[in-house]
Amino acid sequence: MVKKAHFVTGKGGVGKSLISAVLARYLSQNSPLDTNRKQEKEKILLAELNEQSFFKDFLGLKRISYKPLPWLEGIDISQWSPQECLREYALYLLKLESLYKLFFENPVSKSLIQVAPGLEELALLGKITSSPRSHGPPMNYDQLVIDSFATGHFISLFRAPAAMAEAVQFGPMGEQSRGIDRWLRDKDFTHLHIVTIAEELPVTETIELYKTLKKEFGLIATVYLNKLTRLTSADLKNLNPELTESLEYIIDNEKEAKKNLKDAQIEYIELPLVNSLEPSELIDHLAQEMKKAEAAID
Amino acid sequence: MINLGDNTKTLICIGTGGVGKTTIAASMGVGFAYQGQKVLVLTIDPSKRLAQALGVKPDGDPHQVRLSENTSGGELWSCVVNHQKTFEFFIREAAHTGSGKSISPENLNKLLQNKLYQQLSGRLSGSQDFTSLITLNRYVTSGEFDLVILDTPPSQHTWNFLRAPEKIAGLFNEGIARWFRDADSKDANIFKKMINLGTSQVLKALESLTGSQFIKELSTFFQAIQKWQKPLEDYIMNCHRLLISPHTEFILVTALDPSRLGEAQKLSREIKMQGYRLTTVIINRVPLWLTIKTASPSARVANLISYYESLENDLQGRLALFKTQLKVYKCYELRQNTEDVSSLQKNFDELVPLN
Repeated sequence: MVKKAHFVTGKGGVGKSLISAVLARYLSQNSPLDTNRKQEKEKILLAELNEQSFFKDFLGLKRISYKPLPWLEGIDISQWSPQECLREYALYLLKLESLYKLFFENPVSKSLIQVAPGLEELALLGKITSSPRSHGPPMNYDQLVIDSFATGHFISLFRAPAAMAEAVQFGPMGEQSRGIDRWLRDKDFTHLHIVTIAEELPVTETIELYKTLKKEFGLIATVYLNKLTRLTSADLKNLNPELTESLEYIIDNEKEAKKNLKDAQIEYIELPLVNSLEPSELIDHLAQEMKKAEAAID
Repeated sequence: MINLGDNTKTLICIGTGGVGKTTIAASMGVGFAYQGQKVLVLTIDPSKRLAQALGVKPDGDPHQVRLSENTSGGELWSCVVNHQKTFEFFIREAAHTGSGKSISPENLNKLLQNKLYQQLSGRLSGSQDFTSLITLNRYVTSGEFDLVILDTPPSQHTWNFLRAPEKIAGLFNEGIARWFRDADSKDANIFKKMINLGTSQVLKALESLTGSQFIKELSTFFQAIQKWQKPLEDYIMNCHRLLISPHTEFILVTALDPSRLGEAQKLSREIKMQGYRLTTVIINRVPLWLTIKTASPSARVANLISYYESLENDLQGRLALFKTQLKVYKCYELRQNTEDVSSLQKNFDELVPLN
């Protein structure tokens, strides 16, 4: 039974997918021992919503599918598309394979599903919230980490259930939409993570997104300031002028980003630029950093 | 600087989010304007700095950008795509051309007031792919500019943009429209229609999933858009033609990062296979100081330099895979915190060919 859903978002190019993998690793390494069950650690599912898989190439996986496959100890990985979420849900509701086939292999309903507004968002969020709503096939995970859409698309995803509930007030569709919306607003269930780097545009987007999510959904997101060089002016001694100028620009950007986040009263977790191109090394290093940062906050 | 084909009228900058597509699109605009062309740059969401540099207003109209002299008669115009306005333009344009003329004002209102339409238009304009394509088509066909440059919307995958015409065409699919045709008339309700079409079980399944109110809204929606079908399809077809026209070039913008470069390689192969004219790859935001040798840096600086050196080595290893038939350029990162016309021009002039 899924107790927590972690959504990871942010502007394109800030490292959302990498941080999703890091978060999954961190949660798996630091989840409390579950004494009621025989397993030692919580089970984590890392799910990406990318149409073209990022994790398959990045993590060097043989394959990735809707059906979760094992990645690291205690962590499974999968790629979700709205179509497959809907299909699984329909099969669960309709029970009969033949009826389901008739429904899904019918060209009219195929195109209808594709174009009906809001249906894809509901399918994804319906799957994510299926455990607490006790509606849909059971999911044998304790926590979900969802490598979600970039900022703008992410807001429309979150707004979809309420919009649908308003457009269709009666019937099962309205009922489900309201249920999904309720769980998205549940502080214990929904956890938001916004990733940014120390540059003007991503930081501005992060602040706006943070405020929007707080105002509209009452949720406080965890913000990660990623790829920090942590250079200081002391590092610039004895360098030639051109290099000094470039590095000063980086130092200024990092200062500015921290200042802007503080001014907006947003707490953030600092993650350093890791000098490695090796994904597993990167992930383990950053998971350690995440642990250090969490410990410092507590 | 880079060279385009002699007959190129449209330039489309593609690439994943966060690689600096917008700055590259603006640099191209400035560069080609100084070469004497009348250029329009269409952007989606310019940063404050860039908006100031180009003097753009968010009203969705083209504005001329002030350039210094010596432009050899060239002009630079910029325009921020206004999605809500563009969608309305599209609906009205379709209602005024060809078979669209038969659309009555009542029919227009019926469509505009339908709840699902309201959500749909919000979502389509929100996805931005479709509205930027309409805007592009509008200004290319106007013939007012020698060159129109589009900075594509930030999307996870360029296919979202390229498939926008196909996706919206699916919406006006004859099959669906037929399904709901005259569903309100007394003796032929939607359920009977379904039975007539032999798909009653499908509807039952749909109803158990969604409820009858949803189906009612859908029915109204498809009835209302029925008359738009032909004119919208024509319009969408024109947009698609523009994408595969021999006068259109695609520029792929990517970054100095192994997973970005890997994605770019895949994308460049696929996009060429589909018949789009991808001619150029730009690796953006390469730090200039990579080339600067320095003695005895601090540990942190040494660490940073070694990180970027490993990125550079990775790039060199991948370059051969790009080279066939594609021009590859490196673009150095802007060093100052200001973007203005002269720094954009410098950006354009200093593009370094890698092959």
